[in-house]
Amino acid sequence: MVVTVQIERLCQRFGRTTVIEDLDLEIGMGVFGLLGPNGAGKTTLLRTLATVIAPAGGRLRLLGLDPGDPEQRRELRRRLGYLPQAMGYYPNFTVFEFVEYIALLKEMPAREIRRAVARAIERVGLGDRAKAKLKTLSGGQLRRVGIAQAIVNDPELLLLDEPTAGLDPEQRVEFRALLREIGGRGTVIVSTHLVEDVGAACTEVGLLHRGRLVFRGTPEELAALGEGTGAGDTPLERGYSAVLAGARASARA
Amino acid sequence: MTEHLDDVAHLSTCEVCRRRAAEGLEVDLDAAWIGVAAEIWAQPAGPVERVARRLLRSPGLARALVTTPSLVPSWILASVAVLAIGALATESTGTPWVPLLAPALAGAAIAYAYGPGVDPAFELSRSLPISDRMVLLVRALAVFGLNALLALAASLATPEIRGLSLGWLIPMTTISALGLAVATLARSANAGVAAALTGWALVVLGGAASTHRLAAAVTEVTLLPMYLAGTIGLALLALHASSGHRMERRTWW
Repeated sequence: MVVTVQIERLCQRFGRTTVIEDLDLEIGMGVFGLLGPNGAGKTTLLRTLATVIAPAGGRLRLLGLDPGDPEQRRELRRRLGYLPQAMGYYPNFTVFEFVEYIALLKEMPAREIRRAVARAIERVGLGDRAKAKLKTLSGGQLRRVGIAQAIVNDPELLLLDEPTAGLDPEQRVEFRALLREIGGRGTVIVSTHLVEDVGAACTEVGLLHRGRLVFRGTPEELAALGEGTGAGDTPLERGYSAVLAGARASARA
Repeated sequence: MTEHLDDVAHLSTCEVCRRRAAEGLEVDLDAAWIGVAAEIWAQPAGPVERVARRLLRSPGLARALVTTPSLVPSWILASVAVLAIGALATESTGTPWVPLLAPALAGAAIAYAYGPGVDPAFELSRSLPISDRMVLLVRALAVFGLNALLALAASLATPEIRGLSLGWLIPMTTISALGLAVATLARSANAGVAAALTGWALVVLGGAASTHRLAAAVTEVTLLPMYLAGTIGLALLALHASSGHRMERRTWW
């Protein structure tokens, strides 16, 4: 496996609260699903990988680059895509203008930008709304604008925080296909609460609990851990519940 | 053999040329549509953005500049209206309201130039290659420049204060630096505005109390060293605050 994301003993603290503790993780090409209950540290981990915040401790290497070095961090930022959990937007921008703005800030070559923006908008199925102002879009459409800006530069590392929130079932199916397509050429890390997204789109899963990785494996392996337990409607949900119950029991012990 | 491809009589009898003609007609419709859509959906850059692109040599920074919250037409119109009212009040009362209002306006506008809570895409912009310190610097300079021009125009249009036409410029620099430093340190535009307005009010009222002249804050030469020292100190503080250590609780710089 070619390792594209290398995390060693990563720590993140806010004040006295430890959000991520001694996390070791290596991820290669494909779609990696990040599961975990609220407050597990998923968003903090994605923000750290997106270079929004620096680690409180530990070491990162992303796409072979060291984000602690300003020049390498700039190069890394040109090659990554990031969809934050709560993405702000300019209400009077059109869909095209917003995605173009982010493409410009990603320092994409000027002659490529218009085509790349149009392609990203078509890939998320917003071609018919490309000239609509963002303030006129629904929540699901805004989420798709967020995905379009994240993929506009064909990122080698794509970080998506709750990307399917607000999407209807048909859009989610299309989005999973897009994830699989991008995961075939690069690394995608998706944080989600929706276990069915993981089963349908992810090649690997990591489960975070209180800032620690308590499971890492394929969706099938996670589902297998739930056999014989009753919590959950699907094998993956039962596996998820079983791993969390085990992690809570060990924490108490 | 290609010379035969437009010869209909030949095509009707030659299998090889028929196949070649069909190959020549194969068009990637998706790619063609993306090219067309890119041209239809894109809006040409406005004149201000075109000038900014030439000056800054960065299309991304130029777009970031024209999206400055305190450079939108409604903000500029409000500033023009306040200064116009100030000019009228100066003419009717003899009190130099324009020089007294100008620093407060500039301080508030600079506090609202960039930062969390002000720029909708702030979180996203922190994962992009163009550094937010650069965006802050460019926006702050542009906002200051525009406010200085507006105040100069208002001063020149008011005969009563032509003698003071630049008396407000140094205090305006100090109050702008105060607004910028506090907004960046506190990560709150409102805190920056409050600091700028309160700071300027204290200076004006303090000057008035000691000299019995409301305009003392912009006419007393003895205040110049205080303004200059304040400007330098606050500018250094703003630079430190925007170094990233404070822009987000913990960053890479």
